[in-house]
Amino acid sequence: MNHRPLLAGLVALGLPALLLAAEGGYGTAGNPSEGLDPTATAVPAPKRIPRWIFPDTTGGLAAYGTYANELGQVGVLLADGAVKDAKSHPFFQALGTNGRACVTCHQPQDAMSVSLDNIRWIWRVTSGKDPLFAAVDGKNCPHLPQGEPASHSLLLNRGLIRVFLPWPPKGDDGKAIDPEFTLEIVRDPTGCNTHPEYGLGSKRPTVSVYRRPRPSANTKFTTHENFGVLPFIGKNGLPASRDPDTGRATSMNLMADARAPGLRAQAADAASGHMETRGPLTKAQLDAIVAFESQVYIAQASDRRAGSLVESDGPSGFGPQAMLKGEAGVLGNNTTRWVFPMEDKWKSLPRTGDVTQDARSAARESIQRGHDIFMFRTFWIRDSMHLNSVGLGNPTKRTCATCHGMHLTGMDTADGWMDIGTTNLPWAKEEPLNPWNKTKPEMPLFKVTCKDRVPPHPFLGRVIYTQDPGRALITGRCNDVGTIVMQQMRGLAARPPYFSNGSAQTLREVVDFYDRRYNIGYSEQEKQDLTNFLGAL
Amino acid sequence: MRRLAPLWLGFGGSLALAATPDATIRNFVACPIVRDTASVPCWLSEYEGELYFLTLQADVSAPVNPPWLGHKVLVEGRIKPGAARICGGVVLEPVKLSIIAEPDASCHTQLPAEERYNLTFEPPRPPGPSGGRLAFNTLPMPVKPVDVKREVKQYSLPYDFDGLINFKHPFQLTPILDLANAMKVSRVEITGYRGAALLSDGTVLPERADRARRRAEQVAELLQGAGLTAPKYAVRWIDAAPAPTGIDDHTQRRVEITLLP
Repeated sequence: MNHRPLLAGLVALGLPALLLAAEGGYGTAGNPSEGLDPTATAVPAPKRIPRWIFPDTTGGLAAYGTYANELGQVGVLLADGAVKDAKSHPFFQALGTNGRACVTCHQPQDAMSVSLDNIRWIWRVTSGKDPLFAAVDGKNCPHLPQGEPASHSLLLNRGLIRVFLPWPPKGDDGKAIDPEFTLEIVRDPTGCNTHPEYGLGSKRPTVSVYRRPRPSANTKFTTHENFGVLPFIGKNGLPASRDPDTGRATSMNLMADARAPGLRAQAADAASGHMETRGPLTKAQLDAIVAFESQVYIAQASDRRAGSLVESDGPSGFGPQAMLKGEAGVLGNNTTRWVFPMEDKWKSLPRTGDVTQDARSAARESIQRGHDIFMFRTFWIRDSMHLNSVGLGNPTKRTCATCHGMHLTGMDTADGWMDIGTTNLPWAKEEPLNPWNKTKPEMPLFKVTCKDRVPPHPFLGRVIYTQDPGRALITGRCNDVGTIVMQQMRGLAARPPYFSNGSAQTLREVVDFYDRRYNIGYSEQEKQDLTNFLGAL
Repeated sequence: MRRLAPLWLGFGGSLALAATPDATIRNFVACPIVRDTASVPCWLSEYEGELYFLTLQADVSAPVNPPWLGHKVLVEGRIKPGAARICGGVVLEPVKLSIIAEPDASCHTQLPAEERYNLTFEPPRPPGPSGGRLAFNTLPMPVKPVDVKREVKQYSLPYDFDGLINFKHPFQLTPILDLANAMKVSRVEITGYRGAALLSDGTVLPERADRARRRAEQVAELLQGAGLTAPKYAVRWIDAAPAPTGIDDHTQRRVEITLLP
């Protein structure tokens, strides 16, 4: 797709698509994103003009840049230095047939993911013609009318890309796996799972689920081979995926369903799936993409209320430099290394009488309190598969850091898929059905029935309703239904909405979800502090 | 694969009655109970009107991991002589806990903390961040053998009642895999066993009939799936469970692995 006319227009409007210079100033405050009516013809206006990087455009990417978001600025650090000519770099090139590049869904300003606000912006400025909205997966289903908001509602409302997987799943040897459960379609608002060409009943039976793109950054953490990475999966003892190049076990923490063992496999999969390449990428292209992704570090660098997060005498766990320097794949759920080290630097700050400075100190103290809640506020975690089932008991009295324990990322160090209820009923966000609500459910709903030959799911029984079976679509295992690999917690402010299915539009909604799910009983102050802490990561 | 002839008479899933030989043995199936404390919760269970302490919440390294509400638990334990009650319960130590797979909604007792039941000692791990290490040193960590003697090696993998591979086995299987690779073993012999539990009321609880076979086959699949494909495998199982005695019946639930150079 040729973007030259569009780019010319953007430049004329003073909206450079790609900048080398670091950005100053903070983003604007605003209300949480409004939901879209999928039948509407207009898409809500973005909150700010992004620095969107189009594929195949000239320019470069600075070795360090900051990008405004709702809560401040995210920092993007390239450890190997600036990309001087993006046009010649495979990460930024449209390598396939649909005009997309890796950068289409992994934008620096969005912490190497893509935020809903910027999805809406690119929709508006391209009238829905940007390659992001490609029929293959930028639309609810390829058969729907291209370019109509209703056809792309899951991307425009929740930032979701269609992920289509064979059913039954295939093992690493290419042979079909005999699933432990049957899969029925209860609700199919996108029409994709029942479609004769794309659905479960098609010649190539396929399941479509809808997930957020994950940040292609801080990858030394998401692909570590350190603590908890064994030849056998720490959750259930089954063989771990092995890197086809090295033969070594992987952490399986890269994708929502852990289907790709490493960056190379993920890039190859994304090229054929998301970019619709005619053939496999060359070794040089894969090498360049993996090398780029292996040296990008992201984290929030400033907070609009708390100010800089990367002052030399500030907490050591903030900002992208901390990610660059930090040790990958080590436990932080302890008081020696910590998950996100703050060293109590903002525990109690003096007041000067200066309104601005005191407000900043108050914001910093709130972030510190949020950190302390994350580390030390206990609550009862119950019925969460692959957490309660791995030796802690059900329920277990623990803290956020129990699951989110990897130093600097808050991921699981071991193979990290769990079911906290983001996609499984009864906890998943569902549209209230009643005579007064005209909004229809957008997410598909599946009925999973565990076969008699296996024990029932320990916490959900033999019949499970889910919007996304998650890891179970890869393994065919009943106990994996609705389990999702937890993702890193860095650069969160730059990439709403949250959870794999985009069901939380804001960080506050994330906190509210946990509060409901685990009956925590956070006070309003605790919720605000925790939200502020998450926004500073 | 070759199947061995049964060595003992099986129970065929029926229940028999026998007598437990030791008055300190407590083998029973009941709902677990979780009681909060000012620190970590403790896990209890009732049997014949008495409350027994099973274990404390710790972490993955704990020798005894807590059971689950929503499921009954098979308790195979021995009263610890002279031990003070913990959380109001008579201490069973040693104790083996096996979660019954079928959910049981009647198991939902969660008790609040009471001052009189607070722990009188420091638990192995607080209910939050650790001090920098796991609570116990019970996990055999993976090893990378440097000087490997090419000799026959034997291992025994323990199992929960009716259980297959679980979250604890990676720590046992990984050293076996490492050693097998380092030795470049020519043959792996795997034998699966199933057991039965003699409960304190005389009931005999046999494991599922297919456990010995599934255990053996699964271990072979796991080792092969982890890349140990060069050696020949001899996978066997013994379906018949030996007559349980009520003492250490859990030792019958196992897979034996022999690595041959």
